[in-house]
Amino acid sequence: MSGAIGARAPRLRDATLVAGRGRFVADLDLPGQAWARVVRSPVAHAALRGIDIDAALAHPGVVAVLTASDLPDVRIPIRLTFAATPEAEGVLQPVLARTVVRYVGEPVALVIAEDAWTAEDAAELVTLDLEILDAATQVVAAATTGAPLVHAETGTNVLNTIPMQYGDVESAFSDAAVVVRRRLELPRQTGVPLETRGLLAEPGEAALTVWGAAKVKHFNRGALAELLGVDAATIRLVEVDVGGGFGVRGELYPEDVLIPAAALRLGRPVKWVEDRAEHLVATNHARCQVHELEVAATAEGRLLGFRGTAWVDQGAYVRTQGILPALLPATHLPGPYRWEAFAQTTHAVLTHRTPIGTYRGPGMTEASFVRERMLDVVASELGLDPVELRRRNLIRADEMPFMYDLGPASPPIVYEHGDFAEGFEELLRSAGYDELCTERDRRRAGGVHVGIGVAATVELGAIGPFEEATVSAERDGRVIVRAGVGSLGQGVETVLAQIAADELDVDPALVEVRHHDTADVASGFGTFASRTTVVAGNAVALACRALMEQAAAQGVGPAELGEVTGRFDKPHPSFSFGATLSFVSLDPETGRTTPERHVVLHDVGRAINPALVEGQLAGAAVQGVAGALFEELPYDETGQPLAVSLADYRLPTAAEAPPVDVVLVEGPVPDNPLGVKGAGEAGMVGAAAAVANAVADALPATAGEPLVLPLTPRRVSELANGGR
Amino acid sequence: MSTWTAATDPLRVDLTLNGNEVSLEAGVRWTLADAVRAQGLTGTHLGCEHGVCGACTVLLDGQPVRACLVLAPQASGRRVDTVEALGTPDELHPVQEALLEARGLQCGFCTPGFAVLAAWLREQRPDAGPAEVREVLSSNLCRCTGYGPIVKAVSGR
Amino acid sequence: MRAPPFAYARADSLDDALMLLAEAGDEAKLLAGGQSLLPLLAFRVVRPTHLVDIDALGTLAGIQQVSDGLRIGALTRHETLARADLTGGERLLAVAASHVGHVPIRMRGTIGGSVAHADPSAELPAALLALDAHVLVRSATGERTIRAAEMFVGPFTTALAPDEVLVAVIVPTVARSCRHGFGEFAVRSGDFALASVAVVVSVDVGSVDRARIVLGGVDATPIRATGAEAVLTGSELTDEVIDEAAATAAAECDPAEDATTTAAYRRRLVARLVRDALVQARDKGSG
Repeated sequence: MSGAIGARAPRLRDATLVAGRGRFVADLDLPGQAWARVVRSPVAHAALRGIDIDAALAHPGVVAVLTASDLPDVRIPIRLTFAATPEAEGVLQPVLARTVVRYVGEPVALVIAEDAWTAEDAAELVTLDLEILDAATQVVAAATTGAPLVHAETGTNVLNTIPMQYGDVESAFSDAAVVVRRRLELPRQTGVPLETRGLLAEPGEAALTVWGAAKVKHFNRGALAELLGVDAATIRLVEVDVGGGFGVRGELYPEDVLIPAAALRLGRPVKWVEDRAEHLVATNHARCQVHELEVAATAEGRLLGFRGTAWVDQGAYVRTQGILPALLPATHLPGPYRWEAFAQTTHAVLTHRTPIGTYRGPGMTEASFVRERMLDVVASELGLDPVELRRRNLIRADEMPFMYDLGPASPPIVYEHGDFAEGFEELLRSAGYDELCTERDRRRAGGVHVGIGVAATVELGAIGPFEEATVSAERDGRVIVRAGVGSLGQGVETVLAQIAADELDVDPALVEVRHHDTADVASGFGTFASRTTVVAGNAVALACRALMEQAAAQGVGPAELGEVTGRFDKPHPSFSFGATLSFVSLDPETGRTTPERHVVLHDVGRAINPALVEGQLAGAAVQGVAGALFEELPYDETGQPLAVSLADYRLPTAAEAPPVDVVLVEGPVPDNPLGVKGAGEAGMVGAAAAVANAVADALPATAGEPLVLPLTPRRVSELANGGR
Repeated sequence: MSTWTAATDPLRVDLTLNGNEVSLEAGVRWTLADAVRAQGLTGTHLGCEHGVCGACTVLLDGQPVRACLVLAPQASGRRVDTVEALGTPDELHPVQEALLEARGLQCGFCTPGFAVLAAWLREQRPDAGPAEVREVLSSNLCRCTGYGPIVKAVSGR
Repeated sequence: MRAPPFAYARADSLDDALMLLAEAGDEAKLLAGGQSLLPLLAFRVVRPTHLVDIDALGTLAGIQQVSDGLRIGALTRHETLARADLTGGERLLAVAASHVGHVPIRMRGTIGGSVAHADPSAELPAALLALDAHVLVRSATGERTIRAAEMFVGPFTTALAPDEVLVAVIVPTVARSCRHGFGEFAVRSGDFALASVAVVVSVDVGSVDRARIVLGGVDATPIRATGAEAVLTGSELTDEVIDEAAATAAAECDPAEDATTTAAYRRRLVARLVRDALVQARDKGSG
């Protein structure tokens, strides 16, 4: 029914999931299945002289043990071609290590046994002949001459150096009344969905079916076919219920090749379920960056320019996302502000640690933290209110579309539409900023350390290039929609159903969205970069419109027509505006920081299902707060990971999570028929920035500045106690 | 004297599972989570296997426990209730209804553990105030929702 | 993360458990609530050859008054202890137990298990040392008593012999008339504490007669802050005296450093926790 869009419709799968009747990949079993266990490198860097599998093979219940010599010498390919460089192509990951291991957790062998206990027991019996080598374990140190090389043939761990330039930076700085310079650091973090990865590969007559796929099924199918040397039509990837993704699940990993290869080789189903300890070393990491940034401003607080260097950790190999982790931060450094000039040099650096991928709000979260902290440092230098500083520099609606022309070698940064200044004001109004300031001042007078921090951000999303969706109306009244997207738990089926229902004026409960099975859906670019509602959603809308137009033109009911396709092209990604406010209290002695309130605003264009969008924003915001205060994956100097369990990698519990207020901004969006913008990652982008700024505001005047994340109790206590 | 069960031998575990007397064959190393999942009760999820995330929460003699931290034979002679005993998709337990209404789930992986814990809390600690509710719920991890809607569903605010 | 192979037997009595232990040898482990042991098995950092399951020995659970104090059976679950109606300084045990992990952990974990596991940051060992408790242990050859002060020998190491089973904890009667305080600092709700403090103080006509201040999580075992105790002895529990004791406790301990925690930070936590615990003991800790 019209009105399906904008409705807080219940999610189609909720009753099943809340009753525990979901079907996640670990819940699937097939007759005759064998269990696989990956043998992984216990060291960060070593020459792999040999692998002895005899004891493992002899263990009762073991079916096979595969090593690199049993498989073609293939590499995990880069999916995002715009993020591929010749250097990156030279450091792709083999499916199993062949002559060298480069990170703790790197797959070295695959043991297949009759049950999971036996597989794990037998995996311990595989012995590796390792000649241990020095490891490069810190991103700036790894970039220096003489650091142990991750890939000997590169001659350097600096894979690529990416410049970004706009305007006349020298002149901008020479005009400045104030120049501030800081070094800021973000740790390794990762998404940690509650469900670890898993696969069940089932060889069959017509095709090999792989259950447990996610995110980018069609690319993975094609890539897998090529790596296995088979026709893509003989590979079928099926998504079942998925326990969260956050960017790290669903990319093509070595296991995504190993398990199907094993199934084909053995002619029987092979099941693999990652355990949590494995997950923390095997699944993509993110966020690890060091920035040295200088910002120049006038005495009135008008931003003139910034220049900086960033070292972005890529880990030991480049995987499917190429050097995207190193491309995104620079693009997001300018943010929603007007600058006269800027220059940024980003080094994509290899280290002997788990490879890096994208984790919710990649590059944009880091850049926002760096920039927004620096803005508060500038404000402090000038004796200006941080909110006022932003007001003086936020891009206004009458300046849209706003472009930073980065020269011939780089695509420009283009903000197409949006009212950044007004969005920021809306955040302040919704948060009750003035009342919060009064509360802060009152509690401070009573000796409590409280602070307010804000952040204004932009986020790149709705990446193309396009999506096609098909729609058909059945005679029984059902509508079948097919789209090549994935659900990671956010309710994709419900949102696409609402769109179709709105276009066709039917009850959303009658719309069946099929996206799970590559045998059922011909193609798709997948679900990532906050693109699904925009690109696939519009494709669905266009398919529905075409269906209705064709039915009208032919004078028949839509059920008389077959499947109609709609295609939505998105040649450029879009930036959308967001803003966050954080109110914290902290104890300078223990360093405990309590986020008491968190308000996140995002320009969503149009909320198809406000309840679901709010859920995404709030969930991402809490992840972001935890990223500011708790989460880190430290390594020792030999490259051993120190956070190896969920007791070490501190996800927030209900006790640590702040209440989150979500403010949705809607308004005209000219570039797509539905008028929507991406929002799946938005809650994350400004979270660390706002929390860190709030901590800075809350700390005593004599304290150090929060420039290193996470702001654990120990770090905050040290800032408040002279660095000790 | 009691007898040893060798590592490679199966053992029988007789228990009351979701109200039914059952006799399971299990491995000596199986946890209670492994045992119920092997019965097809896959709503009890393994999120970490080391007792931190609570996705495997079940009731053992009416008390919430992490099923991954109970060895299967320890359930012998006892009563175990899993999420499947709370309700069905067509007939949800009131706490499951509340979670649904409040949007207290997204991917659904942590949800059964929360449902079991929350149902126990409502029934056995009905006078628990919001602070106690939040403290008890802090036992289980959720990565999707940020907890607001879960706490609201269970405490009513 | 599945446990490595072991042989298993479920004991049907304490004597049965002792015989099974003797038969199994030195690489056997007792299994009670399993909340400490099962995660270690999951990470395969322990590889017992045999598990003797005493979880079902109900006679080893229960809290009762006995002639020389309060007897807590080894299999008493943390949640039971946390909700027990205890008097005076004995309440310290309930408070300490209530801080262990989360509800589902407390439903299974036992005081005997916690003591035998001897995690340096565990709450109950620190509380037992503060209360000058002792434990009853039994082997095939007899029974003996071990004082808390002699029980915790090193990290995860106790004075128990491989063939011994911890049967009960006894808190001396004198505790009932003492004041107590407890606090710990953990990063998240339910985390292992970075530092904890348990205090038991007896006050006679306004001034401190005896004080036991125990620091947990800052050394190989829970330790007495004897310098801080000396500051209190003979004095009134004023804010100044408390501050001095807190500073003394922080200065006299020697916390280890690790990748994410420094000694200086732990000392700061100790100062704060000692101060808060002593204020608690003074203002609220009599019942």
